[in-house]
Amino acid sequence: MSKGDTAANTLQQHLQQLSDAFALRLQEELPALGQSAERLLQTADPQEQVQQLQSLRDQLHKLAGTAGTFGFSSLGQRARELELDADQWLHTLQQEQQGLQAFSHSLQLLAKQEFQSDPKQMPAPQKAPLTKPMQSTRRIYILEDQLAIGENMRQTLNNFGYQAEHFSRIAELDAALQQQLPDALIVDVNLPDESLTGLQYAAGLQERLAEPLPLLVITTQNDFATHLEAVRVGAMGFFTKPVDIPQLENRLERCFSQQQGEPYRVLVIDDDRELASRFSLILRGANMRVEMLYEPAEIFARMRDFNPEVILLDVNMPDCTGPELAQIIRMNDEWLRVPIIYLSAETDINRQMSALIKAGDDFVTKPISDNALVAAVFSRAQRARLLSNALSRDSLTGLLKHADIKEQAAVELERALRSGKPASVGMLDIDFFKKVNDNYGHAAGDNVIRALANLLRQRLRRIDSLGRYGGEEFLVVLPDCTAEQAWGVLDEIRQRFAELTFIASGSEFSVTLSAGVASTADTSNSASELLEKADQALYAAKHGGRNQVR
Amino acid sequence: MPDLQRILHVEDDPSIQAVAKIALEAVGGFQVLSCSSGQDALDQLQGFAPDFILLDVMMPNMDGPQTLARIARLIDINHVPVVFMTAKVQPAEIAHYRSLGARDVIIKPFDPMQLAAQVRKIWSQVHE
Repeated sequence: MSKGDTAANTLQQHLQQLSDAFALRLQEELPALGQSAERLLQTADPQEQVQQLQSLRDQLHKLAGTAGTFGFSSLGQRARELELDADQWLHTLQQEQQGLQAFSHSLQLLAKQEFQSDPKQMPAPQKAPLTKPMQSTRRIYILEDQLAIGENMRQTLNNFGYQAEHFSRIAELDAALQQQLPDALIVDVNLPDESLTGLQYAAGLQERLAEPLPLLVITTQNDFATHLEAVRVGAMGFFTKPVDIPQLENRLERCFSQQQGEPYRVLVIDDDRELASRFSLILRGANMRVEMLYEPAEIFARMRDFNPEVILLDVNMPDCTGPELAQIIRMNDEWLRVPIIYLSAETDINRQMSALIKAGDDFVTKPISDNALVAAVFSRAQRARLLSNALSRDSLTGLLKHADIKEQAAVELERALRSGKPASVGMLDIDFFKKVNDNYGHAAGDNVIRALANLLRQRLRRIDSLGRYGGEEFLVVLPDCTAEQAWGVLDEIRQRFAELTFIASGSEFSVTLSAGVASTADTSNSASELLEKADQALYAAKHGGRNQVR
Repeated sequence: MPDLQRILHVEDDPSIQAVAKIALEAVGGFQVLSCSSGQDALDQLQGFAPDFILLDVMMPNMDGPQTLARIARLIDINHVPVVFMTAKVQPAEIAHYRSLGARDVIIKPFDPMQLAAQVRKIWSQVHE
């Protein structure tokens, strides 16, 4: 017997042993499978039925995969057929249940709406057209075993305009998650009545989800190990009890704004239409907005209308070369911030450099892989937008700065005159803000300002403009909105702001605001006159006793 | 073509784990590290530095696609091919797995005597 034969024989023996072991395993597994099948018929609860069927299908799937490997091919085939059957039944059951769940959910929504309408009728007339549509409301789930803390958090977040729900038990949260996923989850780490900690639960949940949920963690344990564990399950925020809810809300806001930016706007300029379409297809696939330009002469109109954040520019075009066009774009100060990326088959490094020296920021060489193109454009666009925001937005609140919001007021005044639809402006000022700073420190003061900024962002519409006018003074510009409507919505914001509780150096406090409204229907001469009117109204509100809208 | 030596095999079923290990070691002459879960594989990945990864699709907690996504963050899967093993055979599913970054799919049940040859064939296609 040769050496090779011996090796083959040993292998065969090994395989035979494994096959025997598998046969033994089957003697236990097959009866267990039979019992599960019996149980399936005895189960009345539809949700449990689905779970059992899922588990049966998975077991059959495994069996279909393994049995053949050990030489049990007919068993493997039969398991495969039954797996497909199970899959079909599962599909049918799930569809039935989804239908039922949707029905139950609509009914529950109806019940809730009835329930909420009472307190809402009291304040603020006319605010309906100004509130955001339902679907844009962010849903937040809170897992917190202490009822008082959880309920307080729920109410405060609802004041900010979120749709928050509080659960004291994991089982309740699980049931709700089955119905609908929230936009973010807040989890308490210590759950003495449960077998899992909040973090262990969150870790399991994140693994079950296709995309991780934005997660915030609240805890009494402010140690490094808990921080680390939180980071590992994907937490985006960590808060020690007692939780400063406005600060938590600020973090939520940041999670969401990172998650859902507007798509980047990219202008592709290439005389080769096919290539331009191909590039735009790739970039659109990466969720960017793309427009194409074949005629360099149309650049001015297109820059103005589309306002691109990145320009992809072909180097070799017949009438006007890429570097020439880039220099034309750079002659206009307004477009200085737009990065220009050259596209070229040019691999001669000297010629690339000479193009870059004239104007332009980067060079990509054709042919380029899809990923490389997306990466080149994405990184430039991201940086351009960050810079542009940093230049025009207030660093504490992310709102527009004084000059930009004033400019916005002027734009909306003109639009109102043209369209005949009135626009309103509101000037808001935090009452006794100095005292907040003096009593609780500047960090607490900053927190109050951020909270008001976030509240305004949450409660106002997308078309409204918000700016930080001065230290504790805010200006909102509300197009297509009468003075009465503006009053309504600002008064609602005033009430919600007064209900917020802030925490600083261990003590809780609340703050109020005063506001003044002016409308283009009363004053349509100039933006500064409009702002002056709003300022006067604010002054009247302050003198009338503060915590009011005039 | 670079030499294929170390194979990381991720599979929660101990029987399949054992048979694949024997088949790949005895028939193929490879060095095989078996992992019982996606997490286990991620923990061992960098220490073992595999040339090739075989990944079961259906596993509890972290399934094959999820494991692949995390593997891809740790190593370059263009150089270390990841191949799924699954009993699902629909072409659409295979296309889906490829779109996730899997190099190929080995259908279960597999013939232990042929497994090493299948792996070698994929390896040579990668390095054509």
